Amino acid sequence: MSNYGEHLWVGQIGNGFVILSLIAAVLSAVGYYFYSKEVLTSEWKRFANVAFSIHSISIIGIAATIFFMLFNHYYEYSYVYQHSNNEMPMQYIMSCFWEGQEGSFLLWAFWNVVLGNILRRTIDAKWEAPTMAIFALVQVFIASMLLGIFIGDYKLGTNPFLLLRENPDFANMPFLSIPGFPTKIDGRGLNPLLMNYWMTIHPPTLFLGFSSTLVPFVFAIAGLWKRDFTTWQKPALTWTFFSIMILGTGILMGGAWAYEALSFGGFWAWDPVENSSLVPWLVMVGAGHVMIINKNKGGSLFMTHLMAIASFLLVLYSTFLTRSGILGNSSVHAFTDLGMQGQLVVYVLTFVLICVVLLIHDKLIRVSYLMVSFMMLFLGIVIGYKIILLLTWLGISFVITIYSYMKFFPKEEEEESLYSREFWMFVGSLVFLLASLVITYFTSIPVLNKLFSLEKAPIKVADYNLWMVPFAIVALVLVAVTQFFKYQKTDPKRFIKHITWSGVFAVIFGLSAVIPLYFLKEYSLAKSIDKWNLISYAILFISALFAVFCNLDYWMRTLKGKTRHAGASIAHIGFALILLGALISTSKKQTISQNTSQKNVASLGENFSAKKSLVLTKGDTLPMGNYLVTYKGKEHKGIDVFFHMDYFTKDKYGKLVKAFELSPMVQDNPRMGQASNPDTKHFLGSDIYTHITYADLSDNRAVKKDAYKEPTNFVGHMHDTIFADNAIILIDSITTNLTEEQYSKNDSLLVVTAVLKATDINGTVYRATPKYILKNNTVLPDEFELNELGLKFIFWKINPQEGSIEIQMSEKVNNTREFVVLEAYMFPFINVLWLGCLVMIIGTVVAIMERRRKNRTQLG
Amino acid sequence: MKKIHILGIIVIAVAIGVIFTSLQSSASYSDFVEASANPDTEYHVVGKLNKTVPVQYDPKINADECSFVMLDNKGVEKRVVLHKSVPQDFQKSEQIVLIGKMQGEEFHANEILMKCPSKYNDGKPQV
Repeated sequence: MSNYGEHLWVGQIGNGFVILSLIAAVLSAVGYYFYSKEVLTSEWKRFANVAFSIHSISIIGIAATIFFMLFNHYYEYSYVYQHSNNEMPMQYIMSCFWEGQEGSFLLWAFWNVVLGNILRRTIDAKWEAPTMAIFALVQVFIASMLLGIFIGDYKLGTNPFLLLRENPDFANMPFLSIPGFPTKIDGRGLNPLLMNYWMTIHPPTLFLGFSSTLVPFVFAIAGLWKRDFTTWQKPALTWTFFSIMILGTGILMGGAWAYEALSFGGFWAWDPVENSSLVPWLVMVGAGHVMIINKNKGGSLFMTHLMAIASFLLVLYSTFLTRSGILGNSSVHAFTDLGMQGQLVVYVLTFVLICVVLLIHDKLIRVSYLMVSFMMLFLGIVIGYKIILLLTWLGISFVITIYSYMKFFPKEEEEESLYSREFWMFVGSLVFLLASLVITYFTSIPVLNKLFSLEKAPIKVADYNLWMVPFAIVALVLVAVTQFFKYQKTDPKRFIKHITWSGVFAVIFGLSAVIPLYFLKEYSLAKSIDKWNLISYAILFISALFAVFCNLDYWMRTLKGKTRHAGASIAHIGFALILLGALISTSKKQTISQNTSQKNVASLGENFSAKKSLVLTKGDTLPMGNYLVTYKGKEHKGIDVFFHMDYFTKDKYGKLVKAFELSPMVQDNPRMGQASNPDTKHFLGSDIYTHITYADLSDNRAVKKDAYKEPTNFVGHMHDTIFADNAIILIDSITTNLTEEQYSKNDSLLVVTAVLKATDINGTVYRATPKYILKNNTVLPDEFELNELGLKFIFWKINPQEGSIEIQMSEKVNNTREFVVLEAYMFPFINVLWLGCLVMIIGTVVAIMERRRKNRTQLG
Repeated sequence: MKKIHILGIIVIAVAIGVIFTSLQSSASYSDFVEASANPDTEYHVVGKLNKTVPVQYDPKINADECSFVMLDNKGVEKRVVLHKSVPQDFQKSEQIVLIGKMQGEEFHANEILMKCPSKYNDGKPQV
């Protein structure tokens, strides 16, 4: 305990684990390195394994310490203070754990440790040392990110056990000098958007996905290192498909979270954070497929290495993108810069360096490449970071990679036949790689801006869609037809015969769906670019159906319905359904809330003409899509404000029947600000999604209904109108008791009466006659109360030059009926997307189980 | 020529196409002066909300329109008409990016990105 009642021992234990984990990882990497030199020397093996175990225990120890701090609300620690508070429900303590950067690095390290220990126990003795050496090296880097120590002016890593008073952002807060402050203050709490059940399972799944890309990577690196390009692929294949499954699941959970909890109205927005998890998955899918080619037929060696390595490097790169603050304006998700930009760049480049070095199979070139690299690093340190240095180094590395590929890599002699499975699978992998490169390039525009001092804005969602649709079409067609090719050589006639029926059905069903969807109404209205879009949607639709039918056919006829062997076909059906569901629900997403405004802004271009919001006043019933909606009122539950809406449909007699109720929520978090949380009604065929964009959150139950609100002043001429909340008021006429002539002669009393006609919502007209009374050049205040409408008028000024009069109007509190502004969308057939996700995951699991079974029987 | 070479050429062609079209079509970050000079071009303008001028939003008249004054990074102030409902926590925004075009003296935006200190980042505490 310190003077201020801080529990310093907790942080000391935590930091002990941090340092121990780093040292143990270093020793383990060194141990595995020497063990790999001589597989028979078992001392090094024992040493390395013990070190790795210590490292694993330390990582778990760090995590346990953080949980202990969170549970006990030790707000003297910056991490606890920033990410939790007293009133937070305990089920979200997991979310607190990984909300911050330090916690998410730790989650990553934790999964790596879990996978590393499984790998170490299941792997062949031959591959244990080289793979685990790389594995431990990666852990060295990740463990160093938790250090938070200064080397000169440079801060290495960021420490989760930093005390609040040590954090420069909080160090001068006044309460820090109060003895016993940790028990007297409350933390800042969790971001309300993360208090969602998806947020308790999405991050761990996604990070397990990120971790799982490491295993194929270490295998491929070990293959390069030991110059054995083939034997690692068989054990790595199961891991690769495990990675595809977990990473895919993690990404889709993120989409589900965005759809359920965020208010952008969709499940995918091509946000850099989303892209940087999608890209490694695309590459991993490509890697898995080239590895299957290699297993069944051999060859494709360079591609298997390239893609297995690239997937992990892209995970590192996306860590850099999202954690370095470089995304700046282009993403709302991005973490802020914690001063780790340099460190993250160094990590990415180090692994690039290792890959290139291992690729070079020539001592002279290898040594000179290393020398050049270190010289440039030295130069960079001495003269400071220069773009030209980085670009030169990347250029050299690229040239050497190409050279090494030509020179040292074994290549196939004969060319693949056009009618072979391996050729088209290879093309498919290439399509995935290319798509991932395009997305990476688009996402990297902020990086390019920084490198080349450009000012390019990020790519728009529509452009991403435009670019990705052709890739999706090619991928789907390949997914459909490729399995009907045999390895080596296929009879073209048989192949055509196999795919004919699926093709015919896809075209018939496709056209009969696509024509009403895209061409009956919209096509004639659309502009040329949109026409092109609609045609591409139609082709995508038919291709997806084609893929579904072909895979069903292959499963049922070729495999005779044996599910055990049909993992690939099932996964492919899932993939096609995902794209189909995404296509329909996105392209046919319908805004059912409509603006009532008459103002036409279409002249500004198409984007401006969208009327999305609906103003719904309490008690009113307005049409929205196929429904009629009533706003029933708001309900305060703590800091959450729920807005209850009833959705009605008409029955066959035209009577209103309540169909369902939605309660979109806005959290008014005093520390975090407002967060809107949509509410969605799920039907089998479509979803109705509603979220509040504007509402009065104040709790006005306590306010007296009969009181008048603050008056508002109106400057008006004859026949002008004044808008009150419950009436429209026309300045009908102005009369005076004197003629102008009389007034100029006589200074006794002037009475000017404004005759106002107030029309309420039922059309009833009321008269109000506020008077302007001038006696001896003094205005006498005169109030006119219109009791029927709860309005009060004071006619207090005449501007003779402008010919205008000024009237103050006060309205009663209960005149103003509460209203909300909401947006509502209908997503048709979004369930096809979620079904596809499920099917794809199941298919991948079936394939993995089958692969494991085969591996076992082959061993036995 | 082998098939693999043809594939290679296709890959390179797509790559060049992507780079070329994205450089051509994508908008640039800019300021009000440049946007005024080219009223038909869409720009991303970065700046700060002028919090001393009240934000106008009357959902009863038009729920999809609000108006405010923004100071761009070069210090030029313009009235902005945003064709959306007023964003949540707008007054707390630190920096905003508008996407839209200049029309006369007003900047008409159809999209807005906001950086808030409190939401995703750990900004400096308000002492």
